[in-house]
Amino acid sequence: MVYYVFTLVFFLFDYFILAMGLNIQYGETGILNFAYIGFVAIGAYFTGVFSLPSSANTGQHYILGLGLPFPINLLLGGVAAMCFALLVALITLRRLRTDYLAIVLISLSLVLYDFCNNYVSLFNGADGLYNVPEPFAKTLGLTVNSFIPFFACVTAVVSLLMWFVMSRVTRAPMGRTFRAIRDDHVVAAALGKNVFWMQLKSMLIGSFYAGIGGGLLIQFGGSFNPTAWLPGETFVVFAVLIVGGAGNNIGMFVGALLVETLLVHLPAFLPEIPGHPGLIEYFDLALVGIVLMAMLWFRPQGVVPERLRRTASFGVVERAAVQPADGQ
Amino acid sequence: MTELSVLNAEHQAGRAAALRCEGITKAFQGVHAVNGAAFDVPQGQITALIGPNGAGKTTVVNILSGAMNSDGGREFIGETEVTNWPSYKIARLGLMRTFQLSRELGGLTVLENLLVAPADQAGESLVNLLFRPGLIRDQEREHAERALQVLEIYGLYPLRDNRARELSGGQKKLLEIARAVMASPKILLLDEPMAGVNPALIERIGGYILDLKESGVTVLMVEHNLNVVEQICDYVIVLAEGRTLATGRLSELRENAEVVKAYLGEVIDASALH
Repeated sequence: MVYYVFTLVFFLFDYFILAMGLNIQYGETGILNFAYIGFVAIGAYFTGVFSLPSSANTGQHYILGLGLPFPINLLLGGVAAMCFALLVALITLRRLRTDYLAIVLISLSLVLYDFCNNYVSLFNGADGLYNVPEPFAKTLGLTVNSFIPFFACVTAVVSLLMWFVMSRVTRAPMGRTFRAIRDDHVVAAALGKNVFWMQLKSMLIGSFYAGIGGGLLIQFGGSFNPTAWLPGETFVVFAVLIVGGAGNNIGMFVGALLVETLLVHLPAFLPEIPGHPGLIEYFDLALVGIVLMAMLWFRPQGVVPERLRRTASFGVVERAAVQPADGQ
Repeated sequence: MTELSVLNAEHQAGRAAALRCEGITKAFQGVHAVNGAAFDVPQGQITALIGPNGAGKTTVVNILSGAMNSDGGREFIGETEVTNWPSYKIARLGLMRTFQLSRELGGLTVLENLLVAPADQAGESLVNLLFRPGLIRDQEREHAERALQVLEIYGLYPLRDNRARELSGGQKKLLEIARAVMASPKILLLDEPMAGVNPALIERIGGYILDLKESGVTVLMVEHNLNVVEQICDYVIVLAEGRTLATGRLSELRENAEVVKAYLGEVIDASALH
């Protein structure tokens, strides 16, 4: 039972991080990043190869193998995802917008997937990385059972720290400029905002979150392979964002709770349906799809909609309101 | 000397140009929207850009503001050549614009629409965000106080916490001008600021534009309403078929047969422009 509960807790907080990263890109800046799961994978793989020892005598093939401790390997995994984002942004963001950008990004995600799956010496191909050292397991003498609650708590702490930083970003003028670009990039540029530079910042911040989320995934499970990041997984993160409420960081937590924890992972822990063994495990994505459609139809702003930044939040004294002048 | 060059010479003798374009061309799939437009916009004056539909007025505004690249010709802000600069760089030189169809930042509040405008905001830097929150807080308060003053002037103060997409058409026109003013412009391009606006509001917007002139802002406005042009504009540039047909005062242009013909087709009587 403890294993089940803390596994759900881990996924709740990990997807909270992933959704915050996608939220700053799509919910705040309007970048339709359909390659998001690719950045998660880069973070996971690099966290793994920074953490694993040299590949000699491991039976695996991978680059680096530096044996770095947690959380240095995790931070470097996040930085690796940022570097990949920089490359992608330089290729795509200068000239492409909205649907064309989305098509190119989803194509890039498929190319990356095939590349990692087939170029074995990079991240061990289709077998992926395994036997990734569990953080602090030796130092603290953690067993398989005690590691799961421990690491779920570590993930919760990391996610709360990242929420604190993200809240600062989204509440600040930077977040406001991101939202201005989302609403109308032509107007933002006409007001003197360097749209490419701001979108690049958003991509880098979001990709760092993706990398950290991915890094935590490989540290929790000890392994990561291409089946964990099928391109369709991007849409689960989008579902978290849309159900929770795009443009609201708290909404990302609610979305992670409702979609990732309750719809995707909880069914796997439910009792079997008599006469249909294994069927319930296949319900998850169907349920996500149904909930997504229902939300888009009945409550497109999500469970926790984007908050208005009212005058009082700027620390100014408001005067008595008068009615707007006639004739407007 | 032709009538046009006389008018241009008179026009240029008066004041230095805040904005100048020379032989701008722009074609869309072979159709010449702008075909050699050339004019000066005098410093500190209100200049109208008029012409029949399809004359290329909005395309010229888009090119001058950097929203669109020209195919040929040169543009200057003061002495600085800004030909085909991106709009954010042009905006940073102090040229702001509004749009023919209002383009509010709909998901932001009215106040936030104005707060986007100031240049060099400390809170747009990640380093400041993490290490200098006090600086950001102070600057935000300062900008918010100024934005509220601007909103009060433009009669939008009671709507400050509404999402901009909830405003009426007239209020959106005001918001666009207020947002541009918040950026402390040196030059303001207004693309049909009176379009679709009721007469009472037309008068108010005209007053705001005159106030901007008083504060030293150079205004170039695309306008079809010749009564407004007559009342508030110092100079007029007439575009037809993408070319500068004439420049001068409206009273002079009314006597110009070419202008009358371009504006009204095969007309006849200059009094139609009165």
